[in-house]
Amino acid sequence: MTFPLKAVQLGYSFSFGTPPLLRDLNFEVRPGEVLAIVGPSGSGKTTLCHCMSGIIPLILGGTMTGDVQLHGVSTRKLTPARIAQCLGIVFQNPETQLFFSEVADEIAFGPENLCVPPFIIEKRIDEALEKVGLPGFRGRNPHELSGGEKQRLALAAVLSLDPSILIFDEVTAHLDQDGTHRIRAIIKSLKQEGRTIVMVDHDPHQLEVADRILLLKDGTLRNVLDHDELVAIL
Amino acid sequence: MILTERFTGLDPRTKLVLVMVLSSLGVILQEVLLLGIVWFLTLSLAALFGVGWRPILRRSRMLFGIFAAMAIIQSVFTTGGHGFLWLGPVSVISSLGLERAGGVVLRLLIVVVSASIMATSSPREIVQGLSQWRIPYELAFMVAVAIRFLPLLRQEALETLTALQLRGVALEQLPWGRRLRVYSYLLMPMIAGVMSKSKELALAVEMRGFRAYSQRTAYRVLRPRPFDYAVGGGMLVGMGLFLWIVY
Repeated sequence: MTFPLKAVQLGYSFSFGTPPLLRDLNFEVRPGEVLAIVGPSGSGKTTLCHCMSGIIPLILGGTMTGDVQLHGVSTRKLTPARIAQCLGIVFQNPETQLFFSEVADEIAFGPENLCVPPFIIEKRIDEALEKVGLPGFRGRNPHELSGGEKQRLALAAVLSLDPSILIFDEVTAHLDQDGTHRIRAIIKSLKQEGRTIVMVDHDPHQLEVADRILLLKDGTLRNVLDHDELVAIL
Repeated sequence: MILTERFTGLDPRTKLVLVMVLSSLGVILQEVLLLGIVWFLTLSLAALFGVGWRPILRRSRMLFGIFAAMAIIQSVFTTGGHGFLWLGPVSVISSLGLERAGGVVLRLLIVVVSASIMATSSPREIVQGLSQWRIPYELAFMVAVAIRFLPLLRQEALETLTALQLRGVALEQLPWGRRLRVYSYLLMPMIAGVMSKSKELALAVEMRGFRAYSQRTAYRVLRPRPFDYAVGGGMLVGMGLFLWIVY
């Protein structure tokens, strides 16, 4: 069976000779599954997100061993642009993910890069805004939105590329309770759409939506049996 | 009001032509009187584009110091004109010094005020305009990102400065030498912050398919209207006529 995302003996160290941050990780994400990865600060969660999304080794340096496969193809054989067509990643800080002065332009940026015809882009802008609960925000300036709205906009910008795999790297880290609830609701609806989701977080309450939880600690992964065990660990 | 709307709604490329004409005149012309005429024209155009007086005044204010410094330097190091203020045998303020300082400041004012006309278009429109002028999208996009991130950098510098002051560094009470040394301490966290933000931005851009293909589509295409041609063409012809009459 070909999995949407699979890591085979994945390892990573920042430079040659330094102790590895990730060691021989093996896991796969099934189609439509929500996999949560938790771990204490500094355990390598963001680095793992970078490896899963091909940012490592394609954009950032360091020494990556083993392999990450997207739909059976190694990320080493893909380009970031090719990866963007099947995988979307939302980062922690919305401030550095938004760079235009109008919401619609922000969402259109990805599809324009992928040469999507303009009339489809128009449709995707409305659909993405609807999905993240920001209808009527088309003409607004992203920099005048609240933190939660900015993060939802960053998510809308990724959704406009219509990726089948989504990675959320501590997307609620900068948000208040209301913003966190809204993002959680959106993730639930994306799960219902059948998208494959990997969410990385250190807040156990954020992971209720997950089908499976893995704990990243000391560079290795292990299964977490249930939510109670997770709360006890963290 | 309607006229302002028509002008602000101009194609960014037309505005760019306008800014280039005004800035070129500011560089080409040498006489203070002619530079004054161009500055007046620039101010009038800025008013037509609905540029507020306050930002213009705020930007112009910092040029007064340059004017004073230039006036003294030009008066001391050039001969000619009438001396108004003497320090022994040296003329500190002369008519020639004032004239040359006035010329320099007027040139700067023309560039600063005319550039504010560009701010009436959104960065996205400017990028689109430049792309349709066949300027590589990567280059145009970088310009837009720079415009977007400059205020963020300023904010970061202010935050670092506040953090320093909260640690008990009373900047106002420090002599200039030590104050400069404190400012140098700002550089490291600022550069680190900028590097980190640039990295995050680059990742977000790459992961949204930037440079996926040699071409890209645009859901919003700029189409110049007859008014754009009239304004742009009028400015170019006007510049030609003005220079022909003057020289």
